[in-house]
Amino acid sequence: MRDDYLWDASGEPDPEIQRLENALRSLRHNGPAPEFPVIAADKHQPRQVRWLHGWFARVAVAAACAAVAVIGGFLVLRPKLQVAPSEWTVTNVDGGTRLGSSTISIAGRAKNLGIGQLLETDSRSRASIRAEATGEIQVEPQTRLRVLSSKSGLNRFQLERGAINVRIWAEPGEFVVDTPSAVAVDLGCVYTLQVNDAGDGLLRTSMGWVGFKLGDRESFIPAGAACATRKKTGPGTPYFEDTAQSFRDFLTVLDVQGSNAKEYSAALQAVLEEARPQDALTLWHLLPRVPESDRERVYDRLAQFAPPPAGVTRQGILHLDRQMLDLWWNALDLGDISLWRHWERSWPQNDVQN
Amino acid sequence: MSREPAGYDEGDNARLVEAARQGDRAAFGQLYDDYARMVHGILLARVPLSEVDDLVHDVFLLALRQLHTLRDPTRFGGWLAAITRNRASDFHRRSIDEVELPDSLSAEQVAAGATSGTHSASDDEAIFLLAVVRELPETYREPLLLRLVEGMTGPEIAARTGLTPGSVRVNLHRGMNQLREKLASRPRSSGRSK
Repeated sequence: MRDDYLWDASGEPDPEIQRLENALRSLRHNGPAPEFPVIAADKHQPRQVRWLHGWFARVAVAAACAAVAVIGGFLVLRPKLQVAPSEWTVTNVDGGTRLGSSTISIAGRAKNLGIGQLLETDSRSRASIRAEATGEIQVEPQTRLRVLSSKSGLNRFQLERGAINVRIWAEPGEFVVDTPSAVAVDLGCVYTLQVNDAGDGLLRTSMGWVGFKLGDRESFIPAGAACATRKKTGPGTPYFEDTAQSFRDFLTVLDVQGSNAKEYSAALQAVLEEARPQDALTLWHLLPRVPESDRERVYDRLAQFAPPPAGVTRQGILHLDRQMLDLWWNALDLGDISLWRHWERSWPQNDVQN
Repeated sequence: MSREPAGYDEGDNARLVEAARQGDRAAFGQLYDDYARMVHGILLARVPLSEVDDLVHDVFLLALRQLHTLRDPTRFGGWLAAITRNRASDFHRRSIDEVELPDSLSAEQVAAGATSGTHSASDDEAIFLLAVVRELPETYREPLLLRLVEGMTGPEIAARTGLTPGSVRVNLHRGMNQLREKLASRPRSSGRSK
């Protein structure tokens, strides 16, 4: 009952909580809404062009006085990034957090996280990791995580198993997490990443978008979407989390090698039939993954939902022309793929174990 | 348990966001009324008390300017919460050379500083308690301040911030346990006891 009162003020009041409420009430926000400037609605430019204009404008601002991160969901002004590497601080939240050979057992106690040092939580412990210039990570129970590098422009972690909730405010491409089956590259966002003991994982994005990569296989996961990853095959096909379970089950058949041709064809047909307009995300990712003989079906269905923009031809897509695929991705308005291509060229070689 | 608390309608929220995007200042004003406590509470967990009100205004200005980039209007709350946290981090990066309160001071030191001005005993108590909450891990500070200071219920915190009710409930419960322990270990002055 005490928990009920704390939760929603129902049930028997907790005297201590009531005392705290009374004592702290004077700090409550009570100001009226200020006068905000008029921001004219832009009704004439197509949404994608408006977003790209905003992005280029902000890059110019960044060169002058502030760093700006471009993400699929929102833009936040930041000061210019410092040259000094990020200093990651671990705070024990619950239970005891193991850091290298020592244990932080007091809640709220913090320590620096060194390069290569293993952070481990048990079934009852949780921790929080933070670097002011980069972001913060909530570490869930039963997790093993370490920093591989922390230098100007790149923070690389390794998630061996467990789950982390990530919130990054650094520049896109500056925060990377290796898992046994794929590399997750932040493009300015909030997401959760889980890895099980078999090395398979699941990434769910709450805000912005994330790139997921193993070799040539890449998946882009925008806000509201998720993507599984498997040790043998790498990133799966992303899907929005409000899709039906049957849709996801059929996607799993397409992603996991081993199904026979008949099962595969039936699963693909089901995905195409059940797809909604917003599942253009999934269909775009299927284009390079399905056999050539099936590609036309995927193209036609995707084109129904999101007509190919100028510069994209049917033949080009069927032949997996990279530029045309990228143009079509940008037309889906899920994130500017030039960010990914730019940062992809500057990453160290991926040495994720298979 | 329903994710949406009484009085919160995701559809109305999305309509307000769309209207605000079209330049409807009254709609944005309504969003301010609906979310100002959330923003204020998040900032209370992170920046000096004296800076909070100005930063609330900053956050909403930023949000107004970037509203066209919000892809899903139903996620306005979570988007705004992220802007708020980022603005708080931004504040700290820009204030490196300035004196920071109260993270680097103990709760007692903050309270002692607060009594030197024109604060009443009840103000002192509030500032002292705020400082104690701010000693807690960040995961717990924020929901506790939204609940105890801003008067938001757990379901409302979940609905507005975009977090799951389960997460909020666990963090409230654990945070409150840690807060009780800290307060139990603190001596009470006659000025602070009730």
